[in-house]
Amino acid sequence: MRTDLVIGLAVIGQVLATLPVSAHHAFAAEFDANQPVKLEGTVARMEWISPHSWLHLDVAKPDGSVERWMIEGGPPNALFRRGITQESLPVGTEIIVEGFRARDGSFRANGRDITFADGSRPFVGSFSSGSP
Amino acid sequence: MDHRPVSAVSILAVIVMLPFAPLAAQNAPTAGDPTDARAWQQPLTPWGDPDFQGVWRYEATIPLERPPRYEGRAFLTDEEVAEIARVEEELAANRLAGLDGAAVGRQSLEDSPIRGNEYNAFWQDHGRARQVYRQTSLIVDPADGKLPYTDDAREAAARSTARYGVGPYESYLDPDTGERCLTDGVTAMMWQGPNGGHNRIVQSPGYVTIVHEEYLDRRIIPVDGRPHGGIPQWLGESVGHWEGETLVVETTNFPDKTNYEWASIWTRTSDALHLVERFQRVGPNAMEYTITVEDPKTFTRPWTAAVPITRLADNTQIYEYACHEGNYALKNMLSAGRATAENE
Repeated sequence: MRTDLVIGLAVIGQVLATLPVSAHHAFAAEFDANQPVKLEGTVARMEWISPHSWLHLDVAKPDGSVERWMIEGGPPNALFRRGITQESLPVGTEIIVEGFRARDGSFRANGRDITFADGSRPFVGSFSSGSP
Repeated sequence: MDHRPVSAVSILAVIVMLPFAPLAAQNAPTAGDPTDARAWQQPLTPWGDPDFQGVWRYEATIPLERPPRYEGRAFLTDEEVAEIARVEEELAANRLAGLDGAAVGRQSLEDSPIRGNEYNAFWQDHGRARQVYRQTSLIVDPADGKLPYTDDAREAAARSTARYGVGPYESYLDPDTGERCLTDGVTAMMWQGPNGGHNRIVQSPGYVTIVHEEYLDRRIIPVDGRPHGGIPQWLGESVGHWEGETLVVETTNFPDKTNYEWASIWTRTSDALHLVERFQRVGPNAMEYTITVEDPKTFTRPWTAAVPITRLADNTQIYEYACHEGNYALKNMLSAGRATAENE
């Protein structure tokens, strides 16, 4: 058991050490790990652009105003290879985004987690031989 | 491109691969080679060159440098191979099941909200388990499996690591070459890339062209016997020739960009950088690729990496990567840098 655990931890260490470059840029240069955000809103637009996709989200405030947030997502080529298309997050879809706010305090965040209003998650699972 | 719905998933079995042919004599494989290389013959183009055409990608788990726990040995044991394969399969299954965090091999958010946790697994999913080989490092020379940095380069590597994500970001020149959408260089082009490092090889009489998805990097390599020219370029200037069924590419004429920020110092270019790459197909879907890197401005001696590369399905495409169009990150990094400076 102990041996298995040690090997298992070592393997996890190797996995972490050898993950490919997972983002085009340094997360912390753009976003603040000390400012986690949870945004509930509706999809206003999805930009399929390299090197990262950007999701535009309308977030209704208690006073009736609406904040338009920009959410950074994964690279569009990688998403597309897994069968995720422009129809996967249509305008008007209600979603919850959890991530970290931009360091400059603007209405931008990275989209670490995305959840539909019913609690399910989009994009779960993948396939195809060309994925990243 | 496969357009099946994302819920229709299947887990591809972990493939325990043969080590490289030069290494194979020391290590019997633990599982059959799915490429069935024994029955395979190198195909030729209509004009008689060995045919390497298709989309290729690095799919393995081997780290560039040898981790300390494998010090003194070039190969994993059978037990280690089996355990890594088991973990890889488990992590892939967990990703497909929508799990995250430690279940897919990541640190907890509490330990590090940044490193490796920028995005949930679905943004970055490989779509399948990676391949497990016996090599303990891609670097096979020097024998210790480590980059033979000069003292200056080692200091530059430490500085680069320390400033990653921290800056300062006062100018558009401060982010690294990849963050600026320039290039990540030639050295690791065959096995790295922000989208996973897809390379399409296209051949015509007298030429081999490598189209790298990221940054739209492309290398047009003459194999018609011409000598090197003299124009320094970011990706250098490559000239190839055939040695039997092996494509040998020699690249020189790099400009000195050692004063630029590079995500990895070992990929930076100087005017002394000299690369020799050898491409050898060993099966319908398998290539043995080696690169020898010589640059006395960064390394005390040449080093060589041996990299197993996989040919993807025929319908795999290379997609556009209009990096500047959407590189909001550059503006955001600079505005974040200014906001941080104002708050200090």
